[in-house]
Formats: sequence, C-alpha cells, structure tokens
Amino acid sequence: MRYLLEPFGSPFMQRALAEALLLGAVAAVVSVFVVLRRLSFVADVLTHTVFPGVVIGFVVAGTSGIVWGASVFAVLSTVLITVLAGRSRVTEDASMAIVLTGFFAVGVVLVSRQTSFTSDLTAFLFGRILTVDRQQLVVTAVIGAAVLLLLGLLGKELLFRAFDPAGAEARGYRVLALDLVLNLVVALVVVAAVRAVGTVLVIALLVVPGAAGRLLSDRLAGITLIAVGTALLAGWLGLVASWQASVNHGLRLASGATVVLVLVLLYGVAAAIATARKVRA
Amino acid sequence: MVAAVVAAGLLAFAGCGSGGSDRAAGRSDQIDVVATTPVVADFVRNVGGDRVHVVQILKPGVDPHDYEASPADIQAIADADLVVKSGVGLEATWLDETVSSAGYGGEVVDASRGVTIRQGNGTDEQAAGDPHIWHDPADARIMVGDIAAALVAKDPAGKAGYERNAATYDAKLAALDAENEAEIGSIPVEQRKLVTNHDAFGYYCARYGIRFVGSIIPSFDTSAELSGKELSDLVAKIEQTGVRAVFSESSLPPKTAQTVATEAGVQVVEGEDALYADGLGPVGSPGGTYLGAERHNTATIVKALGGRV
Amino acid sequence: MSEPTGPVLLRFDHASLAYGRARVVEDVHGSVHGGEAVALIGPNGAGKSTLLRAVLGLVDVVSGRIEVLGSTPARARREVAYVPQVDTLDAQFPVSVGQVVLMGRYRDVGWLRRPGVRDRALADDALEAVGLAERKDDRFGTLSGGQRQRVLLARAIAQQPRLLLLDEPFNGVDAVSQQALLAALRRLQDDGAAVVVSTHDLALAHLACDEVCLLNKHQVAFGPTEATLTPELLRAAYGGQALELAGDSVIVAR
Repeated sequence: MRYLLEPFGSPFMQRALAEALLLGAVAAVVSVFVVLRRLSFVADVLTHTVFPGVVIGFVVAGTSGIVWGASVFAVLSTVLITVLAGRSRVTEDASMAIVLTGFFAVGVVLVSRQTSFTSDLTAFLFGRILTVDRQQLVVTAVIGAAVLLLLGLLGKELLFRAFDPAGAEARGYRVLALDLVLNLVVALVVVAAVRAVGTVLVIALLVVPGAAGRLLSDRLAGITLIAVGTALLAGWLGLVASWQASVNHGLRLASGATVVLVLVLLYGVAAAIATARKVRA
Repeated sequence: MVAAVVAAGLLAFAGCGSGGSDRAAGRSDQIDVVATTPVVADFVRNVGGDRVHVVQILKPGVDPHDYEASPADIQAIADADLVVKSGVGLEATWLDETVSSAGYGGEVVDASRGVTIRQGNGTDEQAAGDPHIWHDPADARIMVGDIAAALVAKDPAGKAGYERNAATYDAKLAALDAENEAEIGSIPVEQRKLVTNHDAFGYYCARYGIRFVGSIIPSFDTSAELSGKELSDLVAKIEQTGVRAVFSESSLPPKTAQTVATEAGVQVVEGEDALYADGLGPVGSPGGTYLGAERHNTATIVKALGGRV
Repeated sequence: MSEPTGPVLLRFDHASLAYGRARVVEDVHGSVHGGEAVALIGPNGAGKSTLLRAVLGLVDVVSGRIEVLGSTPARARREVAYVPQVDTLDAQFPVSVGQVVLMGRYRDVGWLRRPGVRDRALADDALEAVGLAERKDDRFGTLSGGQRQRVLLARAIAQQPRLLLLDEPFNGVDAVSQQALLAALRRLQDDGAAVVVSTHDLALAHLACDEVCLLNKHQVAFGPTEATLTPELLRAAYGGQALELAGDSVIVAR
C-alpha cells in the first residue's frame, strides 16, 4: 500500500494525480456516451481537428494560449463535423477522414515552423502531465464542470436520441442540435486534456472506460460507475508505475502514456471477466 | 484508437534507459546538486569532489533540446540544494517549467555567465546565441569558475576543497587548450577547414583558427541511400571546398559513408569516430568525460585533416 | 366497431407530399375521427411511412393540407404519438423496459427537469396496459420482438396521446403480443383517441380497423374497411401483385 502512496508526497505528483483523476472522471462519463452512440471515430476526428487550434494558440500566446486556441477550434470543428455527419452525399466516413487529416496537417505544418518543433509537437500530442500547474488544474476543473453540467441537464434527451433517433425526431427533438451538444462535449474534453495527456492519447480516455463499463454492465448507471472507476484507477496506478519506475529503477515510462497503457490493461481485465461470466453462464 | 494505444506503448517505453538511476539524494554530509548536461555534470563532479552528490539530468545520447523530465528528474530538482545549467538557451524548452513544477525555489546557476556568446545560427532555438560554449577550453574554464563560485556560496564550509579542486581542474583545461593549439597547428593551413553536419563547433573553430565551412551533409540519418543527384551534388560541394574529410556526429549507414568516400575522394568520419558535439559518451568510455571527449574530437579532426597528433 | 365516433382528429385535404423536389405521395384525402382506427395499406415503397411522417410534420406537404387535432402537424405534435418498428432499435442498448416507457414522458417533463411521481405512474400504467408490468426492470433487448413492440406502444401510451401512429407494428409479432397490442389500442380508442396503423395484414385490418386507406404513391381508396378491401381496389393498389382466390379472398404480395 505504501508503494501506491509514496509517489504522491511531492506537490508536482499531487498536481499530476489531481489532473489525472479530474480528467479521467469527466472523460469516463463522456466515454459512456461515445461508446453507446458509436462515436469513437467522431471523437478521434475531433482530437485531430482541435490540434491546429492548440498550435495557433501556442504560437500567438504561449502556453497559456493553448486552451483558448483549442477551444475555438473545438467549437469550429464540432459544427463542421456535426453538419457533415448530418449529410451523406460523400460517405460520412470519407468526408470526416478528409477533415481529420486536413486539420491535423495544418497543425503539423504550423508547428514545424517553430524551431522547438519536436519538443512542442510531442508536448501537444502526448501531454506533459508532470508539469501541470495550478492554473491548468483550474482550467480542467472548469471545463469538467461545464461538461458534467451539460450532460446532467440534457442527459435524458441525449439518452432518448441515442436509443431511438427516429422516435426522438418524431417527438419533435432536433436531433442535429442534440448531436451538436454531444460532439461539443467530446471536443471540450479534448481541450481539457491537451496539456495533460495530449491530443493523441485523449482518445483512449474517451473510449476505453465506457467500453470497459459496457463489457461488465447492462445498466447505464452501472456502466458509468465502472467507467469512472476504471479511469480513476488507471490515473492513479499509471502515475504510480511511472514514478516508481523512474525513481527506483531508472526506467523511463512517459507518465501520460503509462496511464493510457494501464487503462488498456484494465480493459483487458474487464474483457477477461466478461468472458469468464459468459462461459460460466 | 489502435494508433493511440500503439503510440502510448512506444512512448511509455521510449528511452528505457540503462538500469540504475543516480541515487536520489546524497549522504547527509554532501550537498545535492542537479546538473543538466553531461558536460556541466562532469565539471560539477570535478570541482565538487566528495562533498557534492551530483544528479545528472540528461543522459548520454539524449537530445538536450527536446526533453521531457521524468518523475525522478523532478524529484531530484525538488530535493536539490543547487541546480546548475549550461545556459545560452540550451535547456530553454524544458528547464524553467520543470523547475517551477518541482517547486524548487533556490538558485539556478548559469554556468555560461561571463562567457562571450557568439551569434546563433539564426533559428529561434538559438535566439540567445550559440550554446556550444564548452568546446572552447577558455570558455570551459569560465564555466568551471562559475560553478566553483556557486558551490562556495552554497557550501562555505567546503570552500577550501572546492577552490583546490577548481584550480587543479583549471590547470588540466589549460593543458588541453595548449595541446589543441599545438596539434591543430600541425594541420597544413589550407586544410584547416571543418565540414560537419552540426553547427556545434563555432567556438572551437574561432579559438583555433579553423574555417567552419558548414554543414553540407544532408540528413543522412534518415535516408538509407543517396539518390544519384544528391550524391553528385555532394561530391561537387566537397570538391569545391577541397576538404580531406567530412565529419558526422553519429552513425551513418555504412553504404552511404562508403559511397561518399569513394566518389568524392574524402574520408567520412562517423560511427565510433564521430565527434562529440552536444554531449559526452557513455560513462566509463574514453569520451565519457569532458577532457576525454575533447581530446577525442581534436585527435580525430587533426588526423583526418593531415596533422600530427 | 360501430360505436359512435368522435370529432375529426386528423384530416387529409388532397395532400401531396414531397422529399425536396420529388413528389412521393399524391392526393391523400380523408378524415379520421376520435375512437376510430384506420389501416394504412399498400405495397412496400407506397409511401406509408412517408405519410405517417408527414402527419408528424417531418415531411413537406407541397399541395393540399394535413390538419392534425385542428392545427398544423408541427403544432399538434405534443399530443401525437409515434410507434416505430421495433427492429430499428438496437437490442443491445443498456436500457430497461421501464426506462424506455418513461421516455414517452420526457417531452412533457420538459428540458432540464427530471420525471416526477406522476410521470412514473403514467409510465407504469402504460406498461400495465400492454401486459408487461412484470418485465419493467429487464433490459429492453431481453424481450421478444413482439414484447418489444408492446413496450414501444406503452411508451406511446404514456404520452397520453390523442392521435396514435404505428408503423407496421404487427410485423413478425407472435400471437400473444398481437392480442396485447390490439387490446391496448382498443382501450385507447375507447378513451377517444384515433389510431392510424400501417400494416400488410389484411385480416388484421378487417378485424381491428374501421377504415382503410389504400396507398400506392397515390391514394387508391379511403373508406370503410368492408367497402375498401375489395379485390378490384386491392389489385389497383398492389398492381399485378394481387392474386384472386375463390370467392372474395385475395392474396397480396408484399
């Protein structure tokens, strides 16, 4: 037990843990919707389209500009993607893939003009959770609160739409508007996650917890609880693992990536449990 | 999604270093000093001696420009009595952030204080100037002086020892300087040209009157083969400059080196003979200390350009 | 089926429907009274679903009019319930039978609020009405197709609608569920609601419906069941796909 607690004696690890837990919990709740609505690809697209906003924000205003740039692009790309998904002239997949790669390429080109190219790029893509400061924690908390508020207020309508879009439309709900809200929620999680785990790894937080929950439960409440629990556990254990490896064994395990790996391992555990249940039944 | 997991896996294990980290804290009768680069760490060890426990952040072979601090690094800085950096923007992308995250409130000693800084290569990365000051032994002596002063200020009780160590090491640096001058002096004047693929030797060249021709080798590291045009362009440039040898920092694919060598009639110095440009070699190897690395560089350059070692 | 009928709840006044510029259904004309059940019959692609969606205000009426509960389809939507085909829904979705029925109350609960005691009571009553009260906590997907269709009807009933639209609710439904569906619809009609149900099942139309609208991209007929389900009219509606048997029996191909 001491092994699991000793990394968190220093403030920087405490902040990293707070960020991981906050982010993980919020992303996990969103991931339940992502999994139920089969939005993993859309979520992936959003992680790529927010990226140029990150770079532009950084170029214009340094590290504190990142969240603003990301937010602007989050809103822009949410609208674009929701509208694209609403039409189906070119197949939805193809047009989204075009948007994904196009935006991402713009971001990479912009970053490459910085001479601190490689280190900036890796920071944006994979995060720097160990150097999260108090301001960043506040940003994450605020965005997290906004996300949870939106989901809380619109939860039943989002559920209805997810389950029966035709029925929802018949009832007079504007399905496109509801989809816009959910996509925006996903994009906001990406914005909150940029500094901590980066845009590439956040997709794991947006999909794996919900997927693990779905494996183990048939009820929305159960799925959500398991998703949040999994994300919190992964955040904690991932940071423990990377700290212990670094301090006691001289082994470098990038912290954000380790959290994601633990998350995937936990999913494996959930899958094993689910299979065992099926075999026994 | 799969890509993210793979990325996470690769990242997590990227830079799995050699086993065994520096001990996080020294004995109670030592002061804990964190040094950023291998060169700075070497200086601190030489001056500090037994009174100082040195934690070196950048391990051999790690790029100082693109570094993500590990938990152990941040922990070490948090617990440090003193932090020493090389300066001139070398650690700019990561050190300040890391120091503030660690909550270290003490002094960050800039070993470059007092050194006359040369102009950088015009990129943002070298906005503060060319950071490779240590290749000129005269500047290295200034760095050692800065370090000694900082150690004395931090740990006045050890003053005598630090000053003695600093003086001893300073003499070695002076000897190195004289050696370099003599050996380079033996290179035929028209051959005193340096062609490398890195702009790390500005101070060295200025000190010893070598003309730095520049980096004409394209990113060899990434291409396995030169195209026909690339090869003939390269050969033309080499012939234009009339140099006898071109120097690389790291290992080239053997075929590439062979090809350039035979086509251009020059020697390509790479692999084990490569110059130490940004850092030092592995601990325990000849290039593992500052003096060893600099001697290797000079010997290699002089031999290749026709001088006597 | 010859109870006194109520006021006109749904009126088609030579209505033609279009998706964009393509006209899909022409000249539907007729009315549905409270307490009545009307069957919407025609081959696949005839426009039955489109017509139902037009009653909901989701399809453009390019000429003529559709009047719902004395108002436009969009404005009347609150009191119009739609029951989709059950196989359009994901059977794996982690939602319980009770939760599905409660969804019928959401619009009345409104944005930002949670369903209250009365909403839950209405939902429970609706589930009772289709005979599935004991399955309330089971996952929706664990029920049989017919049972799931009944749950969707319960969801509609919970809405307390005055007009009920059902899109082929009897497809592949077992006899027990069919009976339950019919009984529930009957009760709604007794309470004054009107029912429009699209179906292929002529026998069921005979059994349960007062009027029939025969549709094949245009209205072939709209009138009392007996008078409308004749071999000639059915042949006109189904094209060559109607086969006459001895007497007045007709088999239609889907």
